[in-house]
Formats: sequence, C-alpha cells, structure tokens
Amino acid sequence: MFKKLSIMRGLALLAISGLFLSLVGCGSASTGAGSGASTEARDYYKVGVITSLSGAEVYGGNVTKYGYELWADAVNKKGGIKVGDKSYQVKLIYADDQSDPTAGANAAERLITSEKVDFILGPYTSGVTKAVAPILDKYKVPMITGSAESPTIWTQKFAYTFGTIPAADLTANSPLDTLAKLPNPPKTVAVLGVNDAFSKAVAEAFKASAEKKGMKVVKYDVVPAGTDFTPLISAIKQLNPDVLAVGGHETEHMQVIKGSKSLGFMPKAFVMHYGITTPDFIKNTGKDGDYVYGAAVWTPDLKLKDDLFGTVQDYVKASKEKFNAVPDYTQAGCSATGEAFSAALAKIGAKPPLSEQQREQLVKALEQIDIQTFYGPIKFATDGNWYHDNVGLKALTIQMLNGDQLVVGPNDMKAKDPVYPVPAFNAR
Amino acid sequence: MGLFMQTTVNGILIGGIFITIAVGFSISYGVMHIVDFAVGEWIMLGAFTAFWLNQYTKIDPLLLIPFIALFFALVGYLFQPIIQKVVNIKHRSAAMMALAFTFGLSTLLRGSALTLWGFNNRNLVTMLSEMNVNLFGITVPAIRAAATVFSIFVTAAFAFFLYRTKTGITIRAAAEDKTVAGLMGIDGHRISRLVYAIYVGLTAMSGVFIGSIFSVFPDMGLRYTAFAFFVVVAGGMGSFSGAIVAGLLLGLISSFVSVYVGGAYVFLILFFILYLILVFLPKGILGKGW
Amino acid sequence: MSISKSFSPVKLIILFLSMVVLCCLPFVVSSFVLRIATGIMMWIGLALSWNMLGGYMGYISFGHGASFGLGAYIAGMLMTQLHLPFFVSLLIAGILTYIFAALVGYPTLRLSGSYFAIGTWAFAEMMRQLVLVLTITGGPEGLRLPPMLNDNFFYFVMFGLALLVFMVAYLFFEHSDFGLKVKAVREEETAARTLGLNTTWVKNQVFALSSMFAGIIGGAFAYWITFIHPDSVLGPLIADQMVIMVLLGGIGTLFGPVIGAIVLYVGNQYMLVMWGQSSAYLIILGLAICLVILFLPEGLMSLLRILRGRRRGIIKRLLPGMKKSNI
Repeated sequence: MFKKLSIMRGLALLAISGLFLSLVGCGSASTGAGSGASTEARDYYKVGVITSLSGAEVYGGNVTKYGYELWADAVNKKGGIKVGDKSYQVKLIYADDQSDPTAGANAAERLITSEKVDFILGPYTSGVTKAVAPILDKYKVPMITGSAESPTIWTQKFAYTFGTIPAADLTANSPLDTLAKLPNPPKTVAVLGVNDAFSKAVAEAFKASAEKKGMKVVKYDVVPAGTDFTPLISAIKQLNPDVLAVGGHETEHMQVIKGSKSLGFMPKAFVMHYGITTPDFIKNTGKDGDYVYGAAVWTPDLKLKDDLFGTVQDYVKASKEKFNAVPDYTQAGCSATGEAFSAALAKIGAKPPLSEQQREQLVKALEQIDIQTFYGPIKFATDGNWYHDNVGLKALTIQMLNGDQLVVGPNDMKAKDPVYPVPAFNAR
Repeated sequence: MGLFMQTTVNGILIGGIFITIAVGFSISYGVMHIVDFAVGEWIMLGAFTAFWLNQYTKIDPLLLIPFIALFFALVGYLFQPIIQKVVNIKHRSAAMMALAFTFGLSTLLRGSALTLWGFNNRNLVTMLSEMNVNLFGITVPAIRAAATVFSIFVTAAFAFFLYRTKTGITIRAAAEDKTVAGLMGIDGHRISRLVYAIYVGLTAMSGVFIGSIFSVFPDMGLRYTAFAFFVVVAGGMGSFSGAIVAGLLLGLISSFVSVYVGGAYVFLILFFILYLILVFLPKGILGKGW
Repeated sequence: MSISKSFSPVKLIILFLSMVVLCCLPFVVSSFVLRIATGIMMWIGLALSWNMLGGYMGYISFGHGASFGLGAYIAGMLMTQLHLPFFVSLLIAGILTYIFAALVGYPTLRLSGSYFAIGTWAFAEMMRQLVLVLTITGGPEGLRLPPMLNDNFFYFVMFGLALLVFMVAYLFFEHSDFGLKVKAVREEETAARTLGLNTTWVKNQVFALSSMFAGIIGGAFAYWITFIHPDSVLGPLIADQMVIMVLLGGIGTLFGPVIGAIVLYVGNQYMLVMWGQSSAYLIILGLAICLVILFLPEGLMSLLRILRGRRRGIIKRLLPGMKKSNI
C-alpha cells in the first residue's frame, strides 16, 4: 500500500517535524539562536542541578539532591547569597540524568541553553560527570560536583568542572593504613569490587594500599553489578583472610554482609568505602553492620562550623528534620558546593544573571578560594592529576557502631581506638 | 574438595531460587505463547507486598507466602483478559506486540513502585534469615535452603496438578496444540486465564524468598527477567522438566565460574552459553521445548 | 515507479521547502532544541535500520543495540588510539560492523520468532559484558573521545545519516526486487526457499546491512556525546527503544519508524523536562506503550491512514471528477 508514497512525503514529514521543533524552540528559548548567554533580568540565581533521580543510581542521586536542597534552604533562609550590599535568593532547577551519560549531556544542554542557569551543581555518578563536563566547557558554565569520586574525571583537566570530594584513590587507602599501624595488623586481605568506575577505583586502591603495607592479597575479583556474592564469599571463606575489603555501593555492601553472615564467614574486619554510612545500610544491616571499617572525608561528629549552616550538629539536625536522614559525606560535600559558589560570587561581586564574562571570572575565583566550612576546608587543586578536585581534605578511617560513624584514624584525628579483630556476628 | 562441594551446594541453592519462576514462566509461555518482560516486576511486587504486610501485621513473611500467592493469582486472573486482547490482535507479529506490551507493563509497574515507595533498599527479615546449617563442613544459609526445598515442593505439587488432575491435563493439551485442544472442547480462554494466574502467583511468591535473600527495591526485578529468560530458553520454552534442569544449570554455572574462573566473567559466560544453546539446541538442553 | 515520474511542481516545492527548513534549523532554534533535533534524527535512523530487519523481514531483534554499541566503540577506539579522522573512523566502523554482523548473522539467523529475539538479546548482553571486562575499551571507566562541540556539524551528520537510511529503506526495501525477496522471507520463508530463493543470503544481507547502519550511527553518536560507556551504548535500553519506536509508529512501513522515533523521543524528553524531578514519567511512558498497543496495534501510521481516508472521502465528495492518482 505504501508503494504509492513518494520520497517527498517522507521529506515533508521530516520538514513538519523540523517546523514543529522550530516552534517549540521559539517558544522555549526567547533569545533564539543559543549561546549560553542570558539576557533576561532577574534578581535571583538560577542554579541547575543535574543528578540521578531515576535509573540505577537513584539512591545516590537523591543523597546529592538532599545535600543541594539543604544548601538552597539555608541560603534562602538567610536572605540569599550576599553580593555587594544586596542578597540574592537561589532557585534550584533539577534535571534528571536517568543515571545515563547521554541523558546527562542532554540535561546539561537544556539547563544551560533553555533554562539559562548561572552555574550547575553536579551529578552523582562519575560517568555522567564525564559526559557533562565537555558541554560545560563549551558554554563556559561552571559546575561543582559534590559526589563524583572517580580519579579519571580530574586527569582530563576540564576547565569548568570542580569537585568537593577528593578522588577515591586519595581516600580509599586510609582504612588499611590505619589497620596496618595496629600492634596486630592484618596479614591477608581479600578484595572484591563491583565493575563500575567508582567501585573499581576503590577496589584497586584497596589492593594497592594492602600490598604497600606488606599485606598479602589472597583474592582480587571485580565482578559485574548484580552478581550473587555467595559463591565468591564461600571461596574467600576457604582462603580465610584477615580482612575482606569491598568496593561497591550500599546495595552490594548489604549483600556482602548478609551473605557472609549466612555462610558463617567472619573475617577479623570488613573494610568498605562509600555506602556504609547511608541510612539504608545502617537500617537494613542493623547490628551486623557494626564494626565495618570505611573511609570518609567527613562525619556527623566533626567539630567544624561555618556561618551558613552553623555547627555540624546543626547541619545534621536540619537534615534529620527535612529528610529524616543522617547526612553522610556525599550529602555534606554537596551542601558545601554551594558555599564555594557563594564565596566566589561574593568575591567577584557578580549579580544575577551572570554573563559569560562573569562566569569566566567565577571560575578564576573558584580556583583561588580557600574557605573553611562545616564540611572542612575547600581549596581546589589547580594543577596535577587531580585538577580542580578538593584534595586538601583529610581521609578519615571510620568504624560503624550503632549507626554512628566513629573516627578511628588517622591517629591525630581519632575519637576512638579501632576495634580489631571485631566481634563475631553472634557475639554482639 | 571442601570448596568444590561448597560451590556445588551454592550452585544448587542459587538455581533453586529460579526453579519456581521458571516453571510458571515456562508453562505460561507454553499456553499463551507470550514472553513476559514483566516477570521481574511480579517478583518485585511480591517482595514489596510481603514487606508491607510484614510491617503492618508483624507476621513472618514466610507465613505470608500462601496469601501472597493467592492474592497475585487473583491479580493475574483479573489482568489476563487485557493481555489476551493483545495476543488476539490481528497483526502480523502479534506475539511481538504482546512482548512489547509486557515491556510497557514492566516499565509502568517499575515506575509506579519507584514513585510510590521511593528508591530505598528494604530488608525483609524472616525467621530463617539469621540461621545457617552446617553439614559436613558445608555451610548452607537456611533461607536459601528453605527457598530451594520450597520450590521443589511447589514444583512437585504443580507437576502432580499438571499430570494427575483433569484441569492439569487440559492445560497440557492446550499447551501442546491449542487448535486441536479447542476442537476437543477445551475452553482455551479459561485455560489461559488459569495458567496466567498460576504463573503470576508463583512468581510473586518466589519474590518473597528473593526479597529476603537479597533486598527489596523497585529495580530488583530487572535482573530476574534476564535469569528467567535464561532458564526458560535453556530448558526449552514450555518444557517443565527442562526448566528445572536449566535452573540448576544456571546456578551451578554462576557458582563455578565465580569461584574457579573469576566473578568478572559470570555474566559473559552465562550469556555466551545461552546464545550457544539457542543456536545449537533450540529445543533446550533436554530437547523438549517447542 | 521511478522517482522522477512522481515529481510534480507542487511536490518539488514541498521537497525544496522541507530541505530548506531542515537545513536552516540550526540557525533558527536554540542549541537545546537543535540537540533534541539531532537526537530525533539519530533515532529516526536507528528505527529505520531496525525496521529493515524487524519490519520488512519479520525478524524481531532485541540485540540491535549491540551493533550501535559496536560501531560506537570501533569509531571511538580508532579516533582515540589511532587518531584517525572522524569520517574515516565512521567508514571503518560501518565496514567492520557489516562484516561482524554478517559473521554473527550466519548462526543467529537460523533462529526465528521469539528464539531470534532472545538470541539477539543474549548476544547483545554478552557484548556488553565483554566490553566491561576488556581493558582496550576502557572497561567500566568508559571511553572519552576528543570533544568536538559543533552542534551544527552533528546535526547535519545525523540528518545526513537519517536521510541515507531513509533512502536505502525506500530504494532497496520498498522499490526493488530485493525488497520483494525480503518480504517473501517474512511472509512465507519455507515457500520462498522452495521457489529457489536463497533465503540464507537474503537474510544475512538484511541483517548485516541494518547492523551496519546502526553501527555508523553509533560511531557518530560516540563523537557527538564524547563519552561512551558499556551501559549507555550497549545497554538493553537502546534496542528496546528501537523496537518500541517502530511498533509505535507502525512496523514494516516506511514512515512508521520515522513517526515513532519523533513521537517517542520528543515525548520522552518532554516528560523528562516536565516531571524530571520524580520518576512519574516512567509510569506515563509505560502506560503510553500499553495503550498504543491495545488500541492502535498497527501503530500511529494507522491513525494517519484513517485520517487520510477521511480526507480522501471529503475531497472525493467535493471533487467527484478528480483523478485518484493526484492524491
């Protein structure tokens, strides 16, 4: 029946879609052909947020969302960001990256060209960050991510992308370093990792730091997401290592703990990284999640404060009130991104909306800031392998107990001595 | 030797979880000839139902299983006419339309769960969760053992139903040749509806075990859809015994590859084997599919 | 039958205007809209390439995303590791995908129906796992390409590719003996073989050809997005979307995939923009798929046909003497 149709119909159809798009375009983008430059007058900052609100990383995406939202609330309650003698409110505009780099790139393009945001608070995952960063360089819109931890983001030297959390390879060595300093240090380690950018970097760092400290790595395996851990844990049980170190996220950590318990495997310690401080892990593992070692750059017990959030305890209280969640270092890192922007904006005296020139100045100002926040110092590296990453933060070794993150290392920071070997599951 | 035995037992226990799903899925394919993308979502819904019921009634999830099975069988029974409508569409590739329909259904269910219950992981605690059994140096997690024993029991009961009762025989007849069965006076519609109900009930029921072995979250179904496909295809679509053998095979392969080859290669090898089985043994490893 | 015959002055003007509109698009709309337009062009190309295999030949593939990802990775690796220019990489990616698909097609095309669907899906999953464990592809770190941030360039590349696939579908599948052979395979494969048609060859050609186009588009996509990851270019969602687009528009038709791609892509983006803060758009997407299949099983094309039928009726009533061929 379609033999009669000519090629022209198809082209006409394409044309109609084109026309339709132009209409949509004219409707949504008042300034027409798009550069990121903004001409509309407004007396508040438009802040884009790109993060995973659906898809595989929806959990972490919401942690970042909590962090960004708390910052916006705190700033707006104070009247806004103070620039010169006037304060300007902030308004967050969310865009879901669906945990997918392509969707993240689309989201960035939309936030910049049709929403005309002044700056961006960044994605949860490292993959999306890498896809978004070149687009920010194109439009000269600065972004700070409060979450992405893969070291490979920083080696690319993106001009407009910053991060408040030190890369995983700077932090993951801390728990094993702490354990190595004990009078009875672990001698053998098994390392499991999940095959995503962050978890693999963590697993590699665990392996490297174990070997550096003279521990024997008896098993090293990086598995695809969704693997059943029981066979691996059985195999590791036979090797009987002192420590089982796992690079993953909260879901995998829970399954490793559950699996180990159900197989009767109890090493002298579990070492993990991000995820063990999340409410999900704490709630779901209960007592079994106690004594797990982790690395963090911030904990809710730190004695830090700043003008915006007050003390860390005030921040924790605000988070509990609004989201019923004890914040972890990712959430705090996200809240701190806004403080870095506020400081830089105040410094250059840029009022909303920001011009391209002002955004360039903003990046220069961000490179120079050196501020103390409730989250710790923020100072971005300006050269080297961690370009634009906040490398100044000290990695802490934490050990979980009753849902609290106790700092057990390094020695000059610790609040408590590490418990090692840890009590067995049934002896708690 | 200890590791070898432990790996074997682990493999059987992993596979045991899939048998119940595979049996229902396989029979539903046999009768209705639709490949259901939403199988993982029925698992997820079963797990969530157990979780919420447990929250409010404090009854152990394992004791809730009969109720969940019945409830979802009812859901399936009420829902089946809609799927039947898609299957009956006069279309060149009606089976594919049904496949796409279940894909839409799966997206719908997952989206609803995500919107309603959020992204959090939930722990489904049963009376067996904390226990393990030690036999000759092999540790067997009690909940997994229970899942396997239970699925063997359910499978046996189902087999009895299929081979020894009148309704069962009509189901098998409908699965073998719908037209001829129709000529013999079998109401194909009624049978399809019954089979779909059984399938949804069985699948949601196994969701309770899966939820308590791992954890409960809206995206949990995705990977089980993949596993269900594996088991049903490797066993031969529509084959009852094939599904059991393939379920155990799936468990053993994942267990042995994890331990002796490396966890990184589990899925690579699984999908490669599935592809090989499809190409060289399209009727399944027992040659009983159709 | 030939194209030139159907050129009437009115149609020439329409053709000219449509080309002008599509070519001017980059200079009229904002770059976000242009990005969406580029995405639409890409998906039109992909849906059309899937339709060659699934629509004209009746072999429903759930693994077509593997060709897309393969093309993306080949082009990406050629550009980053051998520093070849973009168009050369694209060409090589196309050729290699073609050869690879021809080799894989031989065993895979022995399957049919649901078996073929699941077989291709299993193969695609295997490819994703393979890319995840290999080091040459960057594994889970993904692969970063040198950024080339010229929106207009990518719009024209995707536009050109969509046009190319459209022409091939039109010339080879709608208006040639080859197309008839392909449809013969779909309607009655055994009979076609009995009549002396080399069905194995035909099937393999269609499989390889449609994979090649998906591969080329994948290569262009990699350079456009600048970052590819096994989950984003080899994930099951790519193939699923192609299938849904074609079913939505109308399977086995020339314009069905085009309409399906536009509607689904624009709809998806729109919902994401409107309800991006919640996951409610998944509900709407799922519901939309279910409703279309329930009530418009022939796809949106059938809606168009109904409308056209009505219009034809009206015109006939108005102009009883009008020649049918003019419509």
